[in-house]
Amino acid sequence: MDKQYKIQVKDLHKSYGDNEVLKGINLNVKPNEVVCMIGPSGSGKSTFLRCLNRLEETNSGHVYIDGYDIADKKTNIDLVRQNIGMVFQHFNLFPNMSVAENIMLAPVQLKKMTKDEARKAALHYLDIVGLKEKADVNPTTLSGGQKQRVAIARALAMKPDVMLFDEPTSALDPEMVGDVLEVMQTLAKQGMTMVVVTHEMGFAKRVADRVVFFHDGVIREQGKPDEIFDHPQHEDTKSFLDKVLNV
Amino acid sequence: MRKHWLIKLLMSLAVLVGFGLVMGRQEPIHAASEPTYTIGTVDSFEPFEIPNNRGTYNGKNPGIEIEMLQQIAKHEGFKYRLKVMSFDATLTALQAGQIDASMGGMSVTNERKATIDFTKSYYDSGVVMAVASNSNIKSLKQLKGKTVAVKSGTSGAIYAKSIANKYGFKIKYYKTDNTMWSDVANGNSAATFDDEPVLRYGIRNGMKLRVVTKAVNSQPVAMGIKKGQNQELLHKLNDGITWMQKTGRMQKLLDKYTKGSASKADSASQRTIPALIKNNAGALSAGLVETLKLTIVGAFLALVFGIVLGVMGIAENKVLTGISSTLIYIFRGMPMIVLAFFIYIGMPGLIGHKIPLFTAGVITLMLDEGAYVGAIVKGGFDAVDRGQWEAARSLGLPYSKALVKVIMPQGIKIMVPSLVNQFIITLKDTSILSAIGVMELTQTGTVIISRNLEGFKMWLIIGVIYIVIITLLTWLSNYVQRKVA
Repeated sequence: MDKQYKIQVKDLHKSYGDNEVLKGINLNVKPNEVVCMIGPSGSGKSTFLRCLNRLEETNSGHVYIDGYDIADKKTNIDLVRQNIGMVFQHFNLFPNMSVAENIMLAPVQLKKMTKDEARKAALHYLDIVGLKEKADVNPTTLSGGQKQRVAIARALAMKPDVMLFDEPTSALDPEMVGDVLEVMQTLAKQGMTMVVVTHEMGFAKRVADRVVFFHDGVIREQGKPDEIFDHPQHEDTKSFLDKVLNV
Repeated sequence: MRKHWLIKLLMSLAVLVGFGLVMGRQEPIHAASEPTYTIGTVDSFEPFEIPNNRGTYNGKNPGIEIEMLQQIAKHEGFKYRLKVMSFDATLTALQAGQIDASMGGMSVTNERKATIDFTKSYYDSGVVMAVASNSNIKSLKQLKGKTVAVKSGTSGAIYAKSIANKYGFKIKYYKTDNTMWSDVANGNSAATFDDEPVLRYGIRNGMKLRVVTKAVNSQPVAMGIKKGQNQELLHKLNDGITWMQKTGRMQKLLDKYTKGSASKADSASQRTIPALIKNNAGALSAGLVETLKLTIVGAFLALVFGIVLGVMGIAENKVLTGISSTLIYIFRGMPMIVLAFFIYIGMPGLIGHKIPLFTAGVITLMLDEGAYVGAIVKGGFDAVDRGQWEAARSLGLPYSKALVKVIMPQGIKIMVPSLVNQFIITLKDTSILSAIGVMELTQTGTVIISRNLEGFKMWLIIGVIYIVIITLLTWLSNYVQRKVA
């Protein structure tokens, strides 16, 4: 375990029954680094992301967040999670609450904020994602892009050091994608440590410090965006990029 | 945190059960200076036991055996309290030591003598034949080719079967005296065979029948005590019975219930539906109140129990989910009537402690309906999108907070229609508790009909009361659903 890394993953294995989906993953993420994970469906990238905050239990190996081994039963996973924001493909906003209440829930419950403080903070984060005027509507009335921006604001409200994005734009109509990516790019510029599973190659090229190519449960290749996109070394990488870039 | 939360729920459940125990009907407790015996008796067996409209024996004319016991206790100087149950249950309870003596028109048989010490007999009950009062049948020979009505399981039925071939008649079986007698009085059946006192009592209360034969197959009737136990009580009872017979008190008591004809109260004007409602308004409303009390307390406890089962059912801990699904499986799989018998008649033997009737009823409802509620609650929680859990937990919310703040509000919305439906079913299911003698609306009906023999009209009245209450409940629940949705 090395203190200089925000996230350190050592020889991670994960199986569903006989089906091994992660076959020994090693990955380090430095503070302020933006890592984009690409690869074909079923390559294990989403599962890997979900192992980083223990939404998935691992079979063997270690995941250290800020030096805490999150597979260790003694680690208070709820405390570690407060420091890791997560954004899902299907937003998962709470339909039983207004937009502002979605964002206020965790700060009020966990950071002992008063409702007034939490609401003020919620409006601040809604402002960042450009949806301040939607504070009091029910999330079910929002468009997909708006929902995802609220979900980002909800995660930011806990002031995490790390943000995990699990295909955040895959469920959106094409015209909504830009707004969400823009918010993410702003976050990256402000120095947020981010791990992003994405199919948006343009975003990866533009924003990522490092691109990681997953294939068949292993990291086949990784490097700076131009290395991966312009000079892929591995046949699997080439064939994947051919398919997604030449549509 | 999660355990803390569950403990709170379980504690409130325990408090509520305690509350139910306090609410349960308590028999009066007498001063301790004289011995107090617990006498088990049957919920109705006219004319030996005639419950009032509320199913107790406190009123005037409570029946031959009840009055006999009153007189003997006074003469012999002992106190007693009555425990009311079915006839079969008196025999079980006697052997289990739940009651000191049993009484209920019990025939002395050799089989029973093996486990029971009988008192002196105070009555010989024989089988007689009765026909419609306007019938011209006078003897068994005239029954050839005709149909005879009997109540299954009675000595009348046994006797009829034994002579059916000889006299060439067919037998039709009935479950209640009332329907059987009506069938004969209406001329559908030619005659009936029944215990003489039972028939005489029916005739005295207005049934248009006539007894045409002398009693046969007479069997002595007596009270019973567990073999070898309570010899002091046996002695007192025997002494009292001898005293009553010598002084003519016994004959007077028997005549009171079996001689003579219908009283004035049975005139036709008293048998219209409005008159029946008016005459039984007190009993019917008491029964309705009991039904509603059972429903509300039972449904509330079932809801609490069901939520505990449902929450356990979605826990991450496999032991908890296992317990939950096992309890749901058992209580959903067991007929409620079996559960009621088990709790009211079976449990006291196990825990060495009597369970009041109301409490037994409420616990039955809690377990049976609670199992259904548990399945509904678990289903409701399971129906909430998995992503809701993940989003809540990934924010750092612990399990219990994610459950209470995010999953429960959404799950409840999904389960409300099913819960409302279960509440209405609970109201209907309270009628099953009549089997253990809870004086709710259905049992009230049974008791009233055993007195006035107006089965059709009374069941019509009671059916309508249920429909009205359920209609009101449905309106209320629709209103609640609109509010929640």
